[in-house]
Amino acid sequence: MKTSNVSSRFLFVTAFVVVLNFGSTRADETCSSPYLARIDGQEEFVFVWTLGVDGLGDGADKLVTVDVKPGSPTYGKVVSTASVEGRNEAHHAGFTDDRHQIWLAGLDTSRVFIFDVFSDPAKPRYVKTIDNFEKTTGGAIGPHGAYPLPGRMLIPCLSNAKDKGGRTALVEFGNDGNYIATHWLPTKEDAHGAANADFADGYGYDARVLPRKNALLTSSFTGWNNYMRDLGQLLGDAEAMKHFGSTMVMWDFHTRQPKKIFQVPGAPLEIRWAWDPKHNYAFTAAALTSKLWLVYADEKGEWQAKDVASIGEAKGGVLPVDISLSADDKTLFVCSFLDGKCRVFDISDPQKPKQIHEKQIGKQVNMVSQSWDGKRLYFTSSLLAKWDKTGADNEQFLRAYVWDGKELKPQFDLDFTALKLGRAHQMLFGSNKLGPNRVVASK
Amino acid sequence: MTLIVQQESSGPWARITIFTLALSLAMIIPVAAGDVFSRDREHDYDAPAPGSYNLPVIKVAADGAVIKSNGRALNLRDVTRERVTVLSFIYTRCAAPNACPYATNVMSQLHHLSLEDSALAKNMRLVSMSFDPDYDTPHRLAEYAEAMRDEKSGCEWDFATTKSRADLESILNAYGQAVDKRQNPADPQGPLYHILRVFLIDRDGRIRNIYSSGTLDVRLVLADVKTLLLEEAKVSKQ
Repeated sequence: MKTSNVSSRFLFVTAFVVVLNFGSTRADETCSSPYLARIDGQEEFVFVWTLGVDGLGDGADKLVTVDVKPGSPTYGKVVSTASVEGRNEAHHAGFTDDRHQIWLAGLDTSRVFIFDVFSDPAKPRYVKTIDNFEKTTGGAIGPHGAYPLPGRMLIPCLSNAKDKGGRTALVEFGNDGNYIATHWLPTKEDAHGAANADFADGYGYDARVLPRKNALLTSSFTGWNNYMRDLGQLLGDAEAMKHFGSTMVMWDFHTRQPKKIFQVPGAPLEIRWAWDPKHNYAFTAAALTSKLWLVYADEKGEWQAKDVASIGEAKGGVLPVDISLSADDKTLFVCSFLDGKCRVFDISDPQKPKQIHEKQIGKQVNMVSQSWDGKRLYFTSSLLAKWDKTGADNEQFLRAYVWDGKELKPQFDLDFTALKLGRAHQMLFGSNKLGPNRVVASK
Repeated sequence: MTLIVQQESSGPWARITIFTLALSLAMIIPVAAGDVFSRDREHDYDAPAPGSYNLPVIKVAADGAVIKSNGRALNLRDVTRERVTVLSFIYTRCAAPNACPYATNVMSQLHHLSLEDSALAKNMRLVSMSFDPDYDTPHRLAEYAEAMRDEKSGCEWDFATTKSRADLESILNAYGQAVDKRQNPADPQGPLYHILRVFLIDRDGRIRNIYSSGTLDVRLVLADVKTLLLEEAKVSKQ
C-alpha cells in the first residue's frame, strides 16, 4: 500500500492549520451525540419537551423555550411555547446533527414532531410531523427520542404494534424525515449472530455511539402495555412486572449488526459514554434494581458489563432514571424518581464509584442536563404521564442549579403547573452560536 | 504544492510563517503517515468485510448546475450517476484540520487505491464540490486539483464549483450541507462554518451513506464502495 504521496499532500494541506486550532469556551450538554454540532459558548436557551395535561392551559404537548442567557432581562423565564396536536406522551427528543431541527417524539401516538430551531432558537417553528411511524417502520412503535448521526436520525423504539410488548427496533430516518431502515433488536430466536443469544430479549430504550470504537450500545426498558399503564396497578401485577428489559446490546455501528448481548437486570436506561479518548467505557443505571452498571473494554479489548455501585439504600429501590456524566469523566449525576433526589458520584475510578453529594431536587425528579463546563445543571420532573406522582407530590418543574464541585445550589425554579404548561420532561440546550461537533473538537 | 496554495490565499493564511509550517508538520506526521488499512487512535476497530452488510437507500442524490474545474458547465447528476460516486463538499480555504483537509485526504487515499485496483479505477468516481464559489473559481479549483491529484491514472476525480450562489444554495439545501459565515471572517479555522459531509452515491444516483467526522474512515468508505459493487454483481447474476 503506497501512502507516502497521499500523506504528504495531507501534511501540506493541514500543516497550515493545526497550530491555529484554538480551543474556545464550550458549554453544551454533556449527554448529547458526539456527531451533534456544539454550542459555541454558554447555552442561551433550554428547550423543554412538555406533556400536556387535560384542563391545564391548552392541554396539549408543547415545546417550551426558556431563556438562560446570563444577564438577559428574561433569564429564567419562558420566552415561547409551541403546542403540537393533542397529547402524545411527550418523552425524549433530539437535534439533527447540524442542530437545525429538533425532533420531538411521542411514546403513545408514535408521532414525531419536527421543529426548526435554527432560524430563531428563541421561537422554534413547526416544520412537519412524521405520523405514519408504525406503517413506515414495519411495526415499530413508541419512538423514544432521536439521536443524531451524520445526515440522519437514529430512533430507538420501546415497543411494537403487534403485541405492544417490549420487542422493538432501532429506526433510521434521514434529516428531512424520509424513512431509511428498521433494525430489530436481537431475540433468542433471532439474535443476528450476536454472542450470548440466550440472554436476548429484544427490548430497547437508549442508543449511543462511541465513534472511535465503531461501537453502538443499546439498553432496554418495557413496552407500550406497561409504560402506558398506571404505575400503582403495574407494580401490583407480578406478570406485567416480568416484562421489563434485562439486556444491553453492543453493535457494530457501521454495519448495524449486534455483536454481543449483556445480561443487565432491572431495565438499564440512559447510556453515557465517557468522553476522554482513552476511556473505553459507558455508564448506565438499572431502574428496577437501583444499580449503576459499567460497560467497558477489558484488557483484551473485549466488551464486558459489570454492576459497580448501588444507588440509594431504600428498601425496594429509588428508581434511578436519568444520569449525566461530566465532560471530564470524573462526576456522575444520578436522578432517582421515587425520592426526588440527585446523587453525585465520583467516578474517577469507574470501577468504584463513590457517592460524594446528595440533593433533594423535588418530590419527584426525572431528567438532568449538564453544561459542558460542568457548572450548570437543569432538572425536570415528569417520568411518564401515568407514572408521575399524584396530589401534592406531583410537582412539575424546570429547576436550575449551579455545581461548585461540592454541592448543588439553586439558581431558578419554574413551576410548570402554575404556568399552565404541563409535565416537564426532556431538556435540550439551544443557542444562536454553533461550533463543530465533538468528534472534531476532541481532536 | 504548498506554496501555490499559500501564495494565493489571503487573510490569516498568508501570515503563517515557515516556522509555523515546520512545527505543524512535526506535530502531524506521526498521525498521518500510517498505512490506511491499520487501526489508529481515532479509528480503533476493524473495518467490516465488503458485502457482509447492507447499505439502505437514504434518498435520491439531488441535481444542480455546476462548473467543473476545466470550466465546463454541466449538471451535478452527470458526475453522480453511472459510477459509484464519493461526493465531498469542501472549500479550499478551510483551515479546520479534521474538516475539509481531512476529507480531501480521504479522497486522495481512495484515488491512490484506485491506481492499483482496476475495478475501482473503472467503477468509482470522486467528486470534490466547493461551497465557496466566490473564492473557489474553476481556475483556483484546477490548481487545487493539480496539487491533490497528481496522478493522471486511477479513477475519475472531478472538482466542481457553481456559477452563482443561487445555484449553490439549491444544491446545499438538497444535500443538507449546512454552511454559514463565521462572525469573524479572519477566524483561524477559515471564514466559513460548516459540518463535514461526504456522500456515497450508487450508480443509479441514490445516496447510500453519509459520512461526517468520526465516520469518514477510508477503510469504511472503501468497504462501502466494494459492498455496492458486490451488490450490483449479485443483482446482475439474478
